[in-house]
Amino acid sequence: MGRFLLGRITGAGIVLLLKSFVIFALIGLMPGDPLDLMMNANPETTPEQMAHLRAMYGVDLPITQRYWTWLVAALQGDFGYSRIQHRPVLDIIIPALGNTLILTGAAFVLSTTLAVTLGTIAALKRGTWIDRIINLFAFAGISVPSFWLGLLMIYLFAVRLGWLPAGGMPRPEQGYGGMLAHLAMPVMTLVIVETGGLARYARAAMIEVLSQDYIRTARAKGLTDRRMLVRHALRNALIPVLTLVALQLGGLFSGAALTEAMFAWRGMGRLILEAILGNDYNLALVCLMFVTATILIANICADIAYTWLDPRISLGKRRR
Amino acid sequence: MTEAAVSVWQLRWRRLARDRVALGALSVLVLLYVLCFSAAWIELWLDVTGVDTDLMSRFDPIDARHWLGSDEAGRDEFTRILRGGQISLSIGLFAALGSSFVGTVIGAMAGYFRGRVDMVLMRFTDFMLAMPALPVLIILAAIDLTKLGFSQDFVRSGAAGYWRIVLIVTLLGWTTVARLVRAATLSLVEREFVLAARAQGASSLRILWVHVLPNAVTPIIVATTLRMGGVILTESALSFLGVGIQPPSTSWGSMLTNAQELMASNPLLAVYPGAAILLAVIAINFVGDGLQSAFDPRADPH
Amino acid sequence: MHTVYGMTALLETTNLTVSFGDRAGWFRPAREVLAVRSVSLALQAGEVLAVVGESGSGKTTLARALLGLVPIAAGEVRYDGCDTATMTAPQALAMRRSVQMVFQDPFGSLDPRLPVGAIIAEPLDIHRIGNPASRRARVAELMGLVGLPADAAGRYPHQFSGGQRQRIAFARALAPSPRVIIADEPLSALDVSIQSQMLNMAAELRARLGLAYLIISHDLAAVHHIADRVATMYLGRIVEVSDVDALFTRPAHPYTAALLAAVPRIGAGKWVPGAALGGDIPSPLAPPTGCAFHPRCPAASSLCATATPDMRAIRAGHDVACHHPLGTA
Repeated sequence: MGRFLLGRITGAGIVLLLKSFVIFALIGLMPGDPLDLMMNANPETTPEQMAHLRAMYGVDLPITQRYWTWLVAALQGDFGYSRIQHRPVLDIIIPALGNTLILTGAAFVLSTTLAVTLGTIAALKRGTWIDRIINLFAFAGISVPSFWLGLLMIYLFAVRLGWLPAGGMPRPEQGYGGMLAHLAMPVMTLVIVETGGLARYARAAMIEVLSQDYIRTARAKGLTDRRMLVRHALRNALIPVLTLVALQLGGLFSGAALTEAMFAWRGMGRLILEAILGNDYNLALVCLMFVTATILIANICADIAYTWLDPRISLGKRRR
Repeated sequence: MTEAAVSVWQLRWRRLARDRVALGALSVLVLLYVLCFSAAWIELWLDVTGVDTDLMSRFDPIDARHWLGSDEAGRDEFTRILRGGQISLSIGLFAALGSSFVGTVIGAMAGYFRGRVDMVLMRFTDFMLAMPALPVLIILAAIDLTKLGFSQDFVRSGAAGYWRIVLIVTLLGWTTVARLVRAATLSLVEREFVLAARAQGASSLRILWVHVLPNAVTPIIVATTLRMGGVILTESALSFLGVGIQPPSTSWGSMLTNAQELMASNPLLAVYPGAAILLAVIAINFVGDGLQSAFDPRADPH
Repeated sequence: MHTVYGMTALLETTNLTVSFGDRAGWFRPAREVLAVRSVSLALQAGEVLAVVGESGSGKTTLARALLGLVPIAAGEVRYDGCDTATMTAPQALAMRRSVQMVFQDPFGSLDPRLPVGAIIAEPLDIHRIGNPASRRARVAELMGLVGLPADAAGRYPHQFSGGQRQRIAFARALAPSPRVIIADEPLSALDVSIQSQMLNMAAELRARLGLAYLIISHDLAAVHHIADRVATMYLGRIVEVSDVDALFTRPAHPYTAALLAAVPRIGAGKWVPGAALGGDIPSPLAPPTGCAFHPRCPAASSLCATATPDMRAIRAGHDVACHHPLGTA
């Protein structure tokens, strides 16, 4: 177990390092001066210093060398400055992380609960009109463009009905009510988009479990449906579902980018989009590294959760 | 014996034909493609244009000529949707086929050669899989191609914008198929009919082409179909954000960018392109789902 | 030593050893299993040699090693006097054409996605024999030869019974006019009535086409009336090789005797020494010391636990690897 974890964490570290290089290189290919990354990161740079830097890190300097300079600074905790906001990158990222966690966390809990409930109902009522309606709802959720859904909601609830704010963050004096009002539409969007796939997955897992022999045995022994469900089926059906959920945890920070942008929610996703689209290279780079790190951590957590829930699988077993 | 005398594909087609939802979705999809790629003829027939601006007929209401009215620049909305569909739907098809091709090659190599090749390719797949997809897509879509040595003229051309999207969506989309094909290949190369071919001295290429891929084609077809829907959604998001299809070309996503600003006065202009995306993607997903169950041997009544 | 007939054997192995195992990892020593240990066997042209033994004795691995389907750890395989390890590519291809294989599982050895005609023609395609028209003619001829209906070419393997599928596999093996057919448990998946049909067909084709067979089997009775010689294999080693009649009447190795005792033979009045085998074949991961058979052998002595017996001739055409061969003490 310990060695397995160590191996996975080392592997994830290597992937993170590689990925930071790839993203660094890709960002260097975006429009604008590649030296922006270094020079504009610090608002106090004078023209003389810039000239000096330009000489120091000439455009001809190989990308590996520029990356190395960035990496050494980053490893020492110096993630540099944002070009647009003229603040240290970390000062921008930390509040954004908090906002994203509130939004995606709420959506995550709601959509997982809803998905497992709907999936279980659909599996039990397999082939009936209830199953078909849930299936249609799930397919619609999978197939709808989230930004369009957001657009429609803003028009309906903010422009026409005036019930909810069109977007933005609640002011502190608005209290919990303000928070809820501002969260309502983005959370609803995320829930609709995320529930579909998960509900279908939960349905398939539940059907699989229900068709297995021990459930049939339990049924034959006269267990009532409700008790049987709780005792046997749900627990086993939850294993694959929770694994998928854990894998999706990684998307918590970036998956909501479009939704955050639509509703002007000041989270990580929106920050990344703004940074990329606004050529704020250093901010974009650091944000993406944070997101990648969370994806990798979530993957490791998914592995652990999987083992913990299913004793038949042992950690460290070579996966084929 | 009559049942046994039909091929696997005939059986599958029969199962699919019994699935009314999948068949309906398939008809919708085919109709969408046909309509979109007949846009030029429909424009002639209705005497409208989805391309040229006409400032005298901005925001025309719905009538016999303008089936969905006209937009802020006086272009006919219905045929403009069809023209946007040409781009969105064909990108969906090409990028899904591209992803499947790349995924099949990588997955088959990993599964066939195993050992180090497998390890390297699968680590690479994991690496791609852990990419935060949308941000990386945006970066790739925003990359300044002149820095890679392409000429200004090429970079500004509509074709470059189109194929760039196909390429980057392909680059990030092949991992699912690669995993499926690898898993199928790993189990197929252990089968005796592959051993039998190897005992004859068949080349690796022949074994992969004649014996492995035809037996792995089922998951590839299903994954490609489902991927098409994902591609259309991705393209629309990129175009909506302004890094996808650029004017004067138009796709359903880029139409929504303009419509967003006119939301308060002309909300319907924002409804149509999104509804088109939803219709296309949901049809694709239902077809994919139908294929999956039609191909599933457990669904066989025997 | 097995070239007892005084001519070059068609297919021959000398001290052939095949090992399986994980390659050593960074933190893990290599593990090795010797599936085939120092096997020396010779198949003469036109001869039928049966290799018998329980499952796990390494028979299948031996068959696959002969065809180069598994890597050889030591020793050599020679075809027509040429070492397969040093063959040129054209020589290797020629050998693959002349040495054909029929697999155990008629449901696994035929590609489900190919029509039967394409399956039978595959060797012709690979070895570029003839043109499309002549291949079609050849396929029709082969189907007649193995007793398949003429319309079989356009159908798929799943539309045929097990026996018919094994006929298809046989037709495929015959397609490039081979000199040797290696058959790995060709009958074990079939019903007894079908088995005898297949045996008769194999015997007839052998006579007509001058084929040599190497038949892998766990069933002594099944090979009795087709084999010229029989080799008994135990835990990767050949322990006895003999003409078929000598082996059936006077088995020298206690293991062979035990295998024979396990065979229900109608009208076999003769008492066969050695009780039916107790226990299972030991794991090849940890083979017993000395003679690998000694833990299960009724005649084992202390010598058997320490020294591995060498193969020696007890009479002309009858070799055995045993410290205490039956019928000699």
